[in-house]
Amino acid sequence: MAEPAKPEVTEEAKMDLLEDDDEFEEFEIDQEWDDKEEGNEALQQWEDDWDDDDVNDDFSLQLRKELESNAPKN
Amino acid sequence: MAAYLSMGEAHRRIGDYLSRVTNAISYSDGAALASLLSVSSAPASTPLSDALAAFPDFPRLAGDRFPHLADFLVPLLRAIHSHSVQRFADAYSSFEKASSAFLQEFRNWETPWAMEAMHTVALEIRLIAEKADRELATNGKNPDKLQAAGSFLMKVFGTLAVKGPKRIGALYVTCQLFKIYFRLGTVNLCRSVIRSIETARNFDFEDFPVKDKVTYMYYTGRLEVFNENFLVADQKLTYALMHCNSQSESNLRRILKFLIPVKLSIGVLPKRTLLERYNLLEYADVVTALKRGDLRLLRQALDRHEDQFLKSGVYLVLEKLELQVYQRLVKKIHNIQRQKEPAKAHQIKLDVVVRALKWLEIDMDVDEVECIMACLIYKNLIKGYFAHKSKVLVLSKQDPFPKLNGKPV
Repeated sequence: MAEPAKPEVTEEAKMDLLEDDDEFEEFEIDQEWDDKEEGNEALQQWEDDWDDDDVNDDFSLQLRKELESNAPKN
Repeated sequence: MAAYLSMGEAHRRIGDYLSRVTNAISYSDGAALASLLSVSSAPASTPLSDALAAFPDFPRLAGDRFPHLADFLVPLLRAIHSHSVQRFADAYSSFEKASSAFLQEFRNWETPWAMEAMHTVALEIRLIAEKADRELATNGKNPDKLQAAGSFLMKVFGTLAVKGPKRIGALYVTCQLFKIYFRLGTVNLCRSVIRSIETARNFDFEDFPVKDKVTYMYYTGRLEVFNENFLVADQKLTYALMHCNSQSESNLRRILKFLIPVKLSIGVLPKRTLLERYNLLEYADVVTALKRGDLRLLRQALDRHEDQFLKSGVYLVLEKLELQVYQRLVKKIHNIQRQKEPAKAHQIKLDVVVRALKWLEIDMDVDEVECIMACLIYKNLIKGYFAHKSKVLVLSKQDPFPKLNGKPV
């Protein structure tokens, strides 16, 4: 068997493979907080009415140009 | 290396630790007991671990002094010692023995005074098992300790999830089990614990501690994402977001990482400020693609972050946004036509869609486009019908592009 010359390096490489970024971080075992207050500003930062009829954005203007320039004559 | 320690001093330190553990039990002091059981977070050298190294006969010391708790104390000391000399697989085996003995005692205590200590055991056994598995994998052995920790925690769960005052501690153990099952990729094992938690008649979910409820909703929300139950996923992850400690940035970010694709799939977009605030800019182009109807950008964004999205398991959710982006593109074409020739705006030649797609570097012929439009109509993203012969999509005059309004496609 090969001598494990630098075990730290190997172990760290393996640890990376076993890391799970999506694992929920532990709250302290006795941690409690008041969740009555209107807490996280993240709750307010959503739009469900974003679907406008505006066609003056860059993308639409380019799309229009494209469709007009290639339009077959009829 | 630890400084020289006399046998007498080592003996005294070990005796002191053992007295503190047994005193905490005699006085029903759960917090004190819990703090004495945190094996995995200890630095490599502590006064106790140095003493254990200097006094190899420590098992006999514990057994002689406290014979009635020997089953618990002897393996506990062994676990502390093995952990401090970084023999994690050994530490795990000893800690599991100590944990089983502790669970036995815990079952006999009528009140839940030792819940905090039981929870510490549940956390520690998972953390030590992870270290053990890393060690085993490094040495080319089978890393099976985390799975063993899962089996042990099921016993703990069984002890807690019964009618009575100990039930309040069951959700914490559930969350530890989720962490193990997600790590091992055996998420189907979550099902039986979930059933036990959610069908309880005598216990209101809201009575569990908030930190456990938040963690539980994060994991069950993620399960619903995998199962493509986006409405339920939305409820659970929104609950987690709403109740999470607002100081806990990293956990808020994790919740959002899954909530964002869920919201996108029901037609709700995160604001740019949210993506910036939580460093989730991998979603920025996806959002822009949805707003514009830019299929090329959507595909580029999925391509660029493919590894990341696949790893989190949201790739398929994001891929399905394509239909919404098609809808948006057809709507843009419709709006452009309306400005130019309002009378004929509701007739979209498939040929025009083909040209728009070509401009976006997506090669499709008229038949393929017709197929996609049929799908959009079927999914109620477009209201209209085909004039098949003339290859024209005729849009309904009323609400031709129904909004999702929080419903999944």
